[in-house]
Amino acid sequence: MMKEEKGKYKYGMVIDLDKCSGCGTCMVACASENNVSVRADESDKERSITWMQLFKITNGKPFPDTEVSYFPRPCMHCHHHTPCVSVCPATATRIDYNTGIVSQIYTRCIGCRYCQAACPYHARYFNWWDGYGLAKPFSKGLERALSPEVSVRMRGVVEKCSFCHHRLMSAKSKAYAEGRREIREDEYIPACAEACPTQAITFGDLNNPRHKVSQLIKSPRAFRLLERLGTEPKVYYLSSKSWVRKMADNYLPNQFQQVTKAMT
Amino acid sequence: MEKERKGFWETIAFNRRNFIKLLVGGAVGTAVSPLPWKLTDDIAIWTQNWPWVPVPDAGEFSYAKTVCTLCPGGCGVKVRKTDNRPIKIEGRTDYPVNPGGICPLGAGGLQVLYNDNIRFPGPMKRVGPRGSGKFMDISWNEALKELAKRLAGLRRQGRPDAIVAVDGNPAGTTTSLLVQRFLKAVGSPNYERIPTAEDTYSMANWLTTGNKGPMAYDLENADFILSFGCGLIEGWGSPGRVLNAWGLWHSNPLARRVKIVQVEPRASNTASKADEWIAPLPGTETALALGLAHVIIREGLYHQGFVQGHAFGFTDWRSSDGKEHKGFKKLVLDNYSPEKVAQITGLKPSKIVSLARAFGRSRAPVALCGRGKGDLNGSLYEFMAIQCLNALKGNINQPGGVILSKPIPLSTWPEIQADSIAQKGLEKPRLDKAQTLQFPFTGSLINNLSEAILEKGKSPVDTLLIFSANPAFTLPDGGSFRKAMERIPYIVSFSPFKDDSALMADLILPDHTYLEKTEDIVWPRGLQYPLYALTKPVTSPLYNTRHNGDTLITLAKLVGGGPAASFPWSNYEQALRERVKGLFESGGGLTTYDQSAPAWKGFPSRRGVQSDYSSFEDMWKKLKSGGLWYYPAHDFGNWETIFETPSGAFEFASSRIELALNELSSRTYLGAALKEMGIRAKGDEVFVPHFEKGPVAEPESEYPLIMVPYTLINLSSTWAPNPPYLNKTLFDNQLRKDDSFVEINPQTASRYGLKQGDRIFIESPKGRIAVRVNLFEGAMPGVLFLPLGFGHRAYDAYERNKGANPNDIVNAGKDPISGHPVWWQTRVKILKA
Amino acid sequence: MDSPLISEDVKRCSAWKFFFWSLPWLALLAYGGVSAFLCLFMGLNQTNMSNIFAFALWIVFDLSVIALGAGAFFTGFLTYIIGRTELKDIINAAVIVGFICYSGAVAMLGIDLGQPLRAWFIFWHANVHSMLTEVSFCITAYLGVLTIEYLPLILENRKASEVRDFRLFGHNLHHIMAVFAATGTFLSFFHQGSLGGMFGVLFARPFASRWEFYIWPTTFFLFILSSVAAGPSFTILCSKLAELFTRKKLVPDNVVQLLAKISGWLLAVYMVLKIADTLAWVYGIVPKAGLTFMDFYRQGPYGVWLVGAEIIVFGIIPAIILLTPKARQSSGLLILGCLMNCAGIVLNRFIFVVVTLAIPVMPFDRFWSYLPTWQEWGVALTIIGYGFLLFSASYRYLPVFPKEKELNPAIYS
Repeated sequence: MMKEEKGKYKYGMVIDLDKCSGCGTCMVACASENNVSVRADESDKERSITWMQLFKITNGKPFPDTEVSYFPRPCMHCHHHTPCVSVCPATATRIDYNTGIVSQIYTRCIGCRYCQAACPYHARYFNWWDGYGLAKPFSKGLERALSPEVSVRMRGVVEKCSFCHHRLMSAKSKAYAEGRREIREDEYIPACAEACPTQAITFGDLNNPRHKVSQLIKSPRAFRLLERLGTEPKVYYLSSKSWVRKMADNYLPNQFQQVTKAMT
Repeated sequence: MEKERKGFWETIAFNRRNFIKLLVGGAVGTAVSPLPWKLTDDIAIWTQNWPWVPVPDAGEFSYAKTVCTLCPGGCGVKVRKTDNRPIKIEGRTDYPVNPGGICPLGAGGLQVLYNDNIRFPGPMKRVGPRGSGKFMDISWNEALKELAKRLAGLRRQGRPDAIVAVDGNPAGTTTSLLVQRFLKAVGSPNYERIPTAEDTYSMANWLTTGNKGPMAYDLENADFILSFGCGLIEGWGSPGRVLNAWGLWHSNPLARRVKIVQVEPRASNTASKADEWIAPLPGTETALALGLAHVIIREGLYHQGFVQGHAFGFTDWRSSDGKEHKGFKKLVLDNYSPEKVAQITGLKPSKIVSLARAFGRSRAPVALCGRGKGDLNGSLYEFMAIQCLNALKGNINQPGGVILSKPIPLSTWPEIQADSIAQKGLEKPRLDKAQTLQFPFTGSLINNLSEAILEKGKSPVDTLLIFSANPAFTLPDGGSFRKAMERIPYIVSFSPFKDDSALMADLILPDHTYLEKTEDIVWPRGLQYPLYALTKPVTSPLYNTRHNGDTLITLAKLVGGGPAASFPWSNYEQALRERVKGLFESGGGLTTYDQSAPAWKGFPSRRGVQSDYSSFEDMWKKLKSGGLWYYPAHDFGNWETIFETPSGAFEFASSRIELALNELSSRTYLGAALKEMGIRAKGDEVFVPHFEKGPVAEPESEYPLIMVPYTLINLSSTWAPNPPYLNKTLFDNQLRKDDSFVEINPQTASRYGLKQGDRIFIESPKGRIAVRVNLFEGAMPGVLFLPLGFGHRAYDAYERNKGANPNDIVNAGKDPISGHPVWWQTRVKILKA
Repeated sequence: MDSPLISEDVKRCSAWKFFFWSLPWLALLAYGGVSAFLCLFMGLNQTNMSNIFAFALWIVFDLSVIALGAGAFFTGFLTYIIGRTELKDIINAAVIVGFICYSGAVAMLGIDLGQPLRAWFIFWHANVHSMLTEVSFCITAYLGVLTIEYLPLILENRKASEVRDFRLFGHNLHHIMAVFAATGTFLSFFHQGSLGGMFGVLFARPFASRWEFYIWPTTFFLFILSSVAAGPSFTILCSKLAELFTRKKLVPDNVVQLLAKISGWLLAVYMVLKIADTLAWVYGIVPKAGLTFMDFYRQGPYGVWLVGAEIIVFGIIPAIILLTPKARQSSGLLILGCLMNCAGIVLNRFIFVVVTLAIPVMPFDRFWSYLPTWQEWGVALTIIGYGFLLFSASYRYLPVFPKEKELNPAIYS
């Protein structure tokens, strides 16, 4: 439906699940970077806001062959026919084909939540409550940690991971001030990738063959979430475990190809 | 009625034409006027600028470097600020411990700083009943005078030993030393620490190697890691460092150089992500370690040179009294065959053999101890057995192995000036019986202290001082310390937080938080080289708080006499600076770090480090600005001189245990001595690491299940409050509303007819808690796993009454010899709610 | 008391009786008012909607009433465009029912929005690719058309018609009603279709996703068809309900029979296409996503019975009833057939809204369940109270049923 343009940059992320420890630092760093609200009952997972969210999976085998693993799930920034972008009636979410980043304009969002229905990754979050200020329990003092770089959302609007778009902006201004046209690979990294203590998250320009992400996605270990739906997510995962890879998509019997030793 | 209504319609009829004109005209006029459009627009703009939605102040961005002290890991962090307001915590890349990454707790640190609800606004005095959280403001002057008066009074009565301090600061830090010094100067021997894995480790190391240095492993250069329950990716050691190492180990799946094996009864993250997961029955890890030793010895896979030249008690040995004793080799070969160990641990014999071979055939295998995050102490014999595995491979003081080092070369302060009151006080016996013949190697035993308080009619403790600890929450045995606190007449908390223990205090002398003060980090837990770091305040104190160090110095002066004379400094920083001089005098060491040359990389080959500063003043300046001094080199090998045991070798059989036992039994008889020390084994096994059943043995018929607590990297389980952001990272089968969950194998659950989410009670002889059921295949059948960190009675709505505290039912008993609590094997039963 | 407002030609109950009749509906309105106030003032946290159930009870109600209100445009289409003039005997009732459904749905949508005060951004910042934009434009415009269609009837009120300008205005409107009927039909086709399109385009949700013809997924056409199939049935049910409460015959039998027959035929055609569409989905979309048909019906309360219920029980059976002359001439079976037809469409809308969202797409995701809060029920049920009030007031004060006098000789003798 919408014209897909070929842009200059295409930012993407690669998450190595062999390295990921499931510690949750990415979630905390993201929330802290992006002024995500926090409520007294964050166990209400249907309503809590986690731009980056950990999904715990198990191989389902009985003790002592049980294994757990994690899918850290930011917004996939789907590149093809971005499901949420195409349905938003008020153009409050858009994909910038020059960066590949799917943005959300909080002040334009009318809160119809059609985008949430469209997203199979549950990457979109509605503000069911006033996040700060009127929040209960009165988060006295916590608002002092709010960053001026990301606007605080009002209730009634949808929010989601922006690949820390403000960091791209400041990297660009810095480069511009220094008379450079291009930013370096390490100058623009989202908060989750930066904080990850096992360096499981790599970020960069998928259009740039020199960037690490472009090399990593060629790995036979690489795959994406629900790849078969054709949303073309720009978040890739790496895993050498078959059962983990199999969890990433739906397969009819005999469709799934086991990861072989040669592949890893 | 009828008339009026008619009149109304007549009026309308009379003015009908005008009325319609007015109506239509008005409507059209309003519609074409800008008014409705402007209003519609204004209302939408209003929704975009709701006055109650905060607009954070913008300002100049900057970074302030410091070090995180929320756990003993000591990761480098930088705090992003706008003007003077900290807004985010990130990892430092110019710091060797954690190159860039941090842990969730560290990332959430600002919520600890900023949360009004959990911080004391200034010094306070209790007005409501204990635990009610009702306090009133008092001035620092009043507060300090009140406390000084009480302490001086106790000293005048000749009861300085009724003053007790509980100290949760990491060992060797300046604040910790000041607390210790203060207690000594007033004349009390009763200085208590919160036991951690490091305490057990240093005891085990003292007995096997004679070394008193800290826990140190050259993990990054090892090629086989055998972890006995260490949560390698769940906060063990210095989380920033170990997680980074984990990333390095997995950076190239085609050429993995390291094999990681996790020994644990539960499919934890570490167990799942390790190359192999071995699940012995809880509390049988020692047997497994010795079973591995058996195979390694039997198949000759051990380091002959080390064992023959630098070990004592491996072969049969003779004690000082001339008695012949069986050595480690014989005992292990006799008692720990794979088949026997399989019976004890529930593992397959073939698995034990293959694991032993894998360990034995590796170049640099290292066996690690300290369960979970290492925040809780372990069992002495277990740690000794694990260290013996390292010794069998000669991987002691080797690259990629256990590092034996001298303590960090800080200067010592002049001796205290003990006045006559203090001298008399210090001669009195410790209330907790630590450092006595019964527990000769243990520094302090806080679990014994609560027993001592509870068993007497009147509390022998008059004034309890609590520093950076939350003993009312973190100690086992059904909250026995909390119960003991209820009987202590006067409690002073030095905590900045309204934690469970502070809520029971009578007086609050709040500290700054870690982001508001300077304090030191002495050798982050587990690091292979000495590192000394300083935090730097990233903001001026937000509340009317004072540095504990300064408070103690002032207090000592107010108490007067010996204490005043023992604290000659005018403030904390002076005392700190005096210690740091030792670093300079030791020669060498760096104060800057270059990310491109990781400190661990050259560690195996580097023999010395030139200093990157010219004078003490230069070093002090650099240390204060970068917050860092480290010495990333080591003198390897030197097995001839490194062991400071009575035998001068690595002791597979401990002559110190033998000496201690001799001394104790000389007063009674051997059997009684063994019983006092809590040892169940008999004969020569006593001196070598051996397996014995846990100290508490309720009948299995009454308590058919075992409860094992575990720790999570994303849930603070020690003194530090849990930042609300971390609640986002907990799954709703870990915490759902106010209920925490017990992990239970579906097979076990079905025996009790339990389904996912069911509410149950778990009961031990120590108490009962209510939790929900989380069916987890990765939980060993017959074992219940409960997370530590829930069930606070304090703080605010983010934490209070959320979940159950396993400590309320842990039935710890006493670990043989060390006397520390045993956390991992409480017998319990399930009751349906 | 209100007799001057009531036409002198008809007999109506006393004002007191009417007042007591209104009380329960007013109470329902008050309940809805409180619920709506809470949702607007406190925010949507008053509901049990969530990030999983972004759409819930209200959207099910919206889609259902909009589909059921389709009787208005379709009867108008048949009357004015096709020229079945006998339907003029029921067109007023159909228009009122339509107006109630649409105005109620729009009001509910206003509460459903997180930022209702920004609702007009849909027009100002319209995204032409979004089915919801199409829905919003068409529904808003069509609500205007319905108002215009309703207006002449209001102007025929005894007192209003005393005003010459009103009378003239109303009369003129009558003359150009065909234009509005045509406009209404056009708009309705599009928004009914777009409402279906809204779900068919969710290509990342295989449960709802459908093939596309040009830019429209098959649900676009199925929703149009199902709404015109159910709309007339609902109009019949409403007039039957009016007859029950007024104890009068209000609509000639031939008119009811004609509508029922049309409803039955459309339902039959719809069922054929629906079955074809379902098969195409089962053998096309579903396996392409790596799933099997049964994968959707394994979790929670939603079993494969849903498909059977929708297609057989509430699809084929009512179609047979309505198409069998003998059956539809029996008043009991006629009502049953209409009821089942309407229930079928509500079930269809429920499946597309709630079941779509309840079924996880990611294999490691889990099934969620949802129950509305009392506030949600309040807002939703208010439509019923509002409907009864407006319809009974219209019946009382406006000449809704032109044949009323003629059909009730016993009363008007």
